[in-house]
Amino acid sequence: MEIPYVVTPRKDTGLFNSKIAIWLFLASEVMLFGGFFSAYVFLRLGADYPWPERTLPVLPGLINTFVLIGSSVTVVFAWASLKLRNWRMFQLFMGITVFCALIFMVLKGIEYNVKFHHQAVRLKDYTVMEGHLSYEKELDHNGNKVEENLIFVEASKLTFNTRRFEKSWVEEVLTQAGHHGSKIVLSADIAVVTKEGQPAEVIAKAGEPLSVDLLRRVEKTRLAAASHNSALRTESLREEWVKAHAAHPGKKDWQIASGVNIDTAALAPKLLTEVSTVAFNVDPPARLDFKPRDIKEADGQSRLRDDTVVDGKLLASPMGFHYVDAIDFQHLVMKAKEKGIDPEVAIENSWLIKNSPFAKEAWEWHQGEVAKLKERLLKDYGLDKSGNPKRVPTHKELYRIGWKDFAKKGEQQHGIKLSTMDSLKEEFMGPNYDARNPQGDDTHVEGGHAKETFPHFSLPREQIGFAAKFTPAWNTYYAIYFTITGLHGLHVIGGALVLAYYLFFGRKMYLENPEWLANRVEIGGLFWHFVDLVWIFVFPILYLM
Amino acid sequence: MADTPEAIKKSVRTYMFVGGILFLGTIITVLVASVEALDVGQHGFDKWDCILGLAIATIKASLVAFIFMHLNHEKKAVYWLFASGLCMVCSLAGLTALAIFDPIHDPLFFGKESTTPKILASPSLR
Repeated sequence: MEIPYVVTPRKDTGLFNSKIAIWLFLASEVMLFGGFFSAYVFLRLGADYPWPERTLPVLPGLINTFVLIGSSVTVVFAWASLKLRNWRMFQLFMGITVFCALIFMVLKGIEYNVKFHHQAVRLKDYTVMEGHLSYEKELDHNGNKVEENLIFVEASKLTFNTRRFEKSWVEEVLTQAGHHGSKIVLSADIAVVTKEGQPAEVIAKAGEPLSVDLLRRVEKTRLAAASHNSALRTESLREEWVKAHAAHPGKKDWQIASGVNIDTAALAPKLLTEVSTVAFNVDPPARLDFKPRDIKEADGQSRLRDDTVVDGKLLASPMGFHYVDAIDFQHLVMKAKEKGIDPEVAIENSWLIKNSPFAKEAWEWHQGEVAKLKERLLKDYGLDKSGNPKRVPTHKELYRIGWKDFAKKGEQQHGIKLSTMDSLKEEFMGPNYDARNPQGDDTHVEGGHAKETFPHFSLPREQIGFAAKFTPAWNTYYAIYFTITGLHGLHVIGGALVLAYYLFFGRKMYLENPEWLANRVEIGGLFWHFVDLVWIFVFPILYLM
Repeated sequence: MADTPEAIKKSVRTYMFVGGILFLGTIITVLVASVEALDVGQHGFDKWDCILGLAIATIKASLVAFIFMHLNHEKKAVYWLFASGLCMVCSLAGLTALAIFDPIHDPLFFGKESTTPKILASPSLR
C-alpha cells in the first residue's frame, strides 16, 4: 500500500504528513519541558534551604553544549547533502551527529556516576558535610566492600511480622549470627487453633531455630485463619442485618446501622488463631549490622522496614568519611539568621567546629581567605554612594569550604600540587583524593597535621540529621536536576537511535525514493534540533545559575 | 524552504554562520558566569546574571528554531501548532504563579514573611 503525502504536500496544510506529526509532537514536548522548567523556578523560589548555586562542574556541561550545537549543525548538513543527492556526505555528517550523541551520553554518565558515589550529610545543627565514605574493615559475607555507614545493634531478641518479613533479611540475619557463633531460636511454643472447635496444637516448639521455612509455616496458618475468620465475621454480620431488618420493618439502613453488631462473644469459640508476630531469642546476643535506610534505630528497641523488631543495645555506629571534601555552613547560617543569631557565633558554636580540630583549622583558614577576598573586592571596585563596598563576597563564598578551597589550602600549607592533566581530570571526575593525600590512609591525624588535603572523619550517628548520596533524595535541586537532565538524556538516546537508523538502513530508500528519505531526515533533524534547544536552556539554568 | 540545489548550497553557509554564533553565545554565557571582570550586577550570581544568561539562551534557542528548524519560512499550520504549545506552557506557569496571591499560602513560601510577594527578593536570587 502506498502511503500518501510522504513526499508531496497535502493541499489543506501545505505540508507532508509526517511534518505535521512531528510538530504536533514537538508542541507536546514544549509543554512537557516547559512544565519542568516552571517546576524548577517554583522549587528554587520556594526552597527552604540555600539553593546550590553553580554547584555542577561547568567544563563537562560546556563540552556537552558544544557537542550538541555541533551535532545540530551536522544534522542539518546531512539533510542538505541528501537534498543535493550526495550519499557519501550524508553518511559523513550523520555519522558525526550520532558520534556526538555518544560523547554527550558518555560525559553525562560520568557526571551521574560521580554524584552517585559522593556522600552528603546534614548534621542536626544544619552543618553540611560532603565527601567519600570509607569502607568497613570486614567484607560482607558475599565478599563485597561495605561502606562505613552501618548501624550496629547487639541483638538479644528478634520479633518477625509473619506477613511482612523479608526473606533475604531473615537469611542475612542468620548468616551474621552464624558468623558470631550465635543461635537464633524460637522463644516460646507457637500454639494455634487450626480447626474450628478443636484445641490449640503446637506448630512450632520453643528452641526451634529460625528459618524462612518456619516463618512461612506460621504465615500459612495465619493466612488460613484470617480467611476462615473473616468469612465467619461476614456471615455473622449478614445474619445480624437480616435480624435487624426483621425487627425494624420500614426503617432505612442508616437508621438501624448503629444497632447492628457482630456478637463477638458467640463468635469467639469458632475463630482460629492468627499469629501476627513470632519472637526469637538470639543466644548469646550478637552484633548485627543494618543499612541505615532499613532500620529506625533506637537504644533498646529498633524496627526494620519489614516491621521486624530488634531488641538490644544500640552500639556505636559512626559514619566514616574516608575523605571530607566540603564543609558547608550556609544552611546553618540561614537557620541562625531566622533565629536572630549572629552567623559567626553560630558557626563557632557548631558541633563540628567544637569537635573537629581539622574543621576548626579549615574554618579559620577560610575566614582568612574571605578577608583577603573582601579586601581585594574593595580595592578593585571601591565604595558606592552610601559608603558601602560595591561588591561583597557571596553567601556561598562566605560560608562554604568547597573541595577547591580544600585543594587550595593543601597547596598553600603542604605544597601539594597536581599536574595540569590531573587538575583537568578533576574537573570531570571530582577531586583526586589519592594525589591530594599523598601519604595515603595511614597518616590520618585528627587535627590535620598530616600532609593531607582532605581529612578523615568519623561522624557519630546521633549527630546525623539527614544523609544521602547526591541523588534526588538529597534535596529538591538534585531532584529537578536528575529529572530534567535524565529526561533530556532519554531524548538524546531516542533521537540518536532514529538518526542512526537512517544512517545504517537508509541506503535502500535513498536509491528508491531519495526525496522521501530527505523528508524523513528532516523530521528526525527537527527532533534533534529540539533536543539541542532544550539543552540551550538546561545548561545555563542548572550549571551556571 | 530551500529546495533548489543553489538555494540549499546558500543556506548551508547560513547554517555554518548560525552554528558559529551559537558557539560564541555559549562562550559568552560561561565567561560572564566565571570571569569576575565580566560579571554583571553584584559579585557572584544575581538577578542580572539570570536575566543576561536567559536572554542569551533565548537568542540562541530562537536561532535554532528559526534557522535550523526553518521556522523563518514555514506554513501557517506549523506556527499554530508551536505557538499553541508555548501559550499552554506560559498559561500553566502563569496560573501556578498566581499562588503568590493565595491568602492562605505559607508566609515563608517565597522566602520571607512580607505580605507583598517580591519574588526577586528570595534568598536564591537575592
